[in-house]
Amino acid sequence: MSGIIAIISQPPAEGLTGGDLEALGGAAALAAQTGEPVLAAVIGHSVSDAVAEAGERGAERVYVADAEHLAAFSGDAVVDAAESAVAASEVSTVVIGRGTNTLEFAPRLGARLGGGCVMGVTEVRPDADGGFAVVASVYGGSARAVYRLAATPRVIGLSPGLAPAPDRDAGRSAEVVAVDAPASAEERVVVDQPAEATGPRLEEANVVVSGGRGLQRGDNFALIRELAANLGGMPGASRAIVDEGWAPSEEQVGLTGKIVSPDLYVAAGISGASQHMMGCSTSRVLVGINTDRDAPIFRYARYGINGDALEVLPELIRLTRERAGG
Amino acid sequence: MHIVICAKQVIDPDGVNSYALWGQLEVDESGRAFSTELPLIINAYDDQAIEAALRLRDDGHDVTITALSAGGEDVNQLLRHCKAMGCDEIVRVDDPDGPPDAFRTARLLAAAIRDLGDVDLVLCGRQSSDYDQGTTPAALAEMLGYAYVTVAFDVRVEGERLRIKRATPLGEEQVLASMPTVVTISNELGIPRYPTGRGMIAARRHPATVKTLEELGVEDGDGAELLELYIHEVAGECEFIEGDDPAAQAAALLGKLEAEGVL
Ligand SMILES: Cc1cc2nc3c(=O)[nH]c(=O)nc-3n(C[C@H](O)[C@H](O)[C@H](O)COP(=O)(O)OP(=O)(O)OC[C@H]3O[C@@H](n4cnc5c(N)ncnc54)[C@H](O)[C@@H]3O)c2cc1C
Repeated sequence: MSGIIAIISQPPAEGLTGGDLEALGGAAALAAQTGEPVLAAVIGHSVSDAVAEAGERGAERVYVADAEHLAAFSGDAVVDAAESAVAASEVSTVVIGRGTNTLEFAPRLGARLGGGCVMGVTEVRPDADGGFAVVASVYGGSARAVYRLAATPRVIGLSPGLAPAPDRDAGRSAEVVAVDAPASAEERVVVDQPAEATGPRLEEANVVVSGGRGLQRGDNFALIRELAANLGGMPGASRAIVDEGWAPSEEQVGLTGKIVSPDLYVAAGISGASQHMMGCSTSRVLVGINTDRDAPIFRYARYGINGDALEVLPELIRLTRERAGG
Repeated sequence: MHIVICAKQVIDPDGVNSYALWGQLEVDESGRAFSTELPLIINAYDDQAIEAALRLRDDGHDVTITALSAGGEDVNQLLRHCKAMGCDEIVRVDDPDGPPDAFRTARLLAAAIRDLGDVDLVLCGRQSSDYDQGTTPAALAEMLGYAYVTVAFDVRVEGERLRIKRATPLGEEQVLASMPTVVTISNELGIPRYPTGRGMIAARRHPATVKTLEELGVEDGDGAELLELYIHEVAGECEFIEGDDPAAQAAALLGKLEAEGVL
């Protein structure tokens, strides 16, 4: 068995983004270590643009499962289609980027293929016999674990930022192989879906202003929203205040929320627990506002204000209002 | 309706967080575990999985709830907690020195669930707070051939099916799933109830059923082998913005951010 295959499922029509690009980048990085070819599997409906793009970004062969029942995500159907692509390509390793549905199918695929799976991989290390070990965070980021997936085919779920996607090169193109993807009885049907997000995405925002339990009351989250708007950014939240019902869970940043990497991340009234920092520690400039000078947030912050967020936020809002043109 | 909840004993994550913060978290000689003595608790999402099962009982369904865990005798404490919460039966797969491989654990749990017979629903926490992987329940669903639904915060029975609300990164999603199903529970479910006094007394008198790997016929297989753990250090180079009052601090901060080119 030889080859590293990046799985791209339900690619957006506008071109590959986020986890799909990272899967191609991760596959290329791994292939560079093991000397295996880079392949891709594209799963969805009417995906010829994505197939072409995967080729331009370095996949030598692209396995395509294109069918109407694959237009929207379904864990059952995607695991089946990915299994077919792996069988057809005879690869050793499957690489999957972080996306909305990764948790729903990557570990299942690892169990189905038999080689297992490690999620949230932040680093791949070559080992002496031409293989590799993978590193993933544990305890919400306080420690790291090194794993070996000895058997193949195995699945690697990537954490964002492992390796950049190879640039597009219109001179490259892949051999395209169609994969059979028959529709099977669905064990699980979606009956009500969240509206497709149309506005800007938290994961791509240049500025994120987040609030935590230090805001004291739910209605103070309005300060976070207002400052974020003034800075042309988006609001985020700690899990503590999502659990309190002060912010919706889609705005949670962290290990079990969104992973963001903006130019500016402001954490107001957030302690800086490692699980929260998993979602924002790669931000370019991090600012902490906290009444406790020993709060862990100041370990990560570039700038800190040791003070009351409920006093500092209104000043920041006032001073940035002109910037927002208001 | 027979519900199985799978529970894991973990080192208290808040304890790990604060020890790590003060540089006091240490790895032992094996390189694969912490030497630091920290309290063991039920993985919080698993506690919420028990709560999800109890809510189905509150809804008036005739449910039998079996709590299942794999490990050595120290896991009896966790299972007693499950019993005190209101689970009917508690089962331990005797595996005192098992490596922390999610795929191996899933094989043990799958064997124990097959051994129980007619199971309709398996509830697990969305991930464990030690390894943060979320792979065990997925592997369990594959091995059992059950339907699989993740990050649920509301689970209801609707005829022969389950109606499940999920907390996805895009917002709430509702799915209908056939049974048997493995469902993982997320914190959006809410705070689990406390064990009652009566439950705690019952739990003291109720030993766990213990199953050995031989009895269950668990076979070897492949998975993720943990080679090494190491502590992740955070550098820390914070510049505190001083100032006479919040207005001065806010202005000084904006000045710094402008100079950094991030505004
Ligand atoms: C498995 C697992 C997954 C998790 N996933 C996530 C996740 O994805 N995202 C996440 O955020 N958390 C997550 N957590 C929870 C995490 O460990 C913390 O409990 C949580 O981030 C704490 O939120 P907080 O900082 O808002 O609240 P707290 O810990 O209560 O901190 C509040 C902070 O506010 C400060 N403060 C109080 N008053 C003021 C004031 N007036 N002005 C300024 N500061 C003030 C306090 O000094 C304190 O530092 C997870 C935990 C586990 C175990």
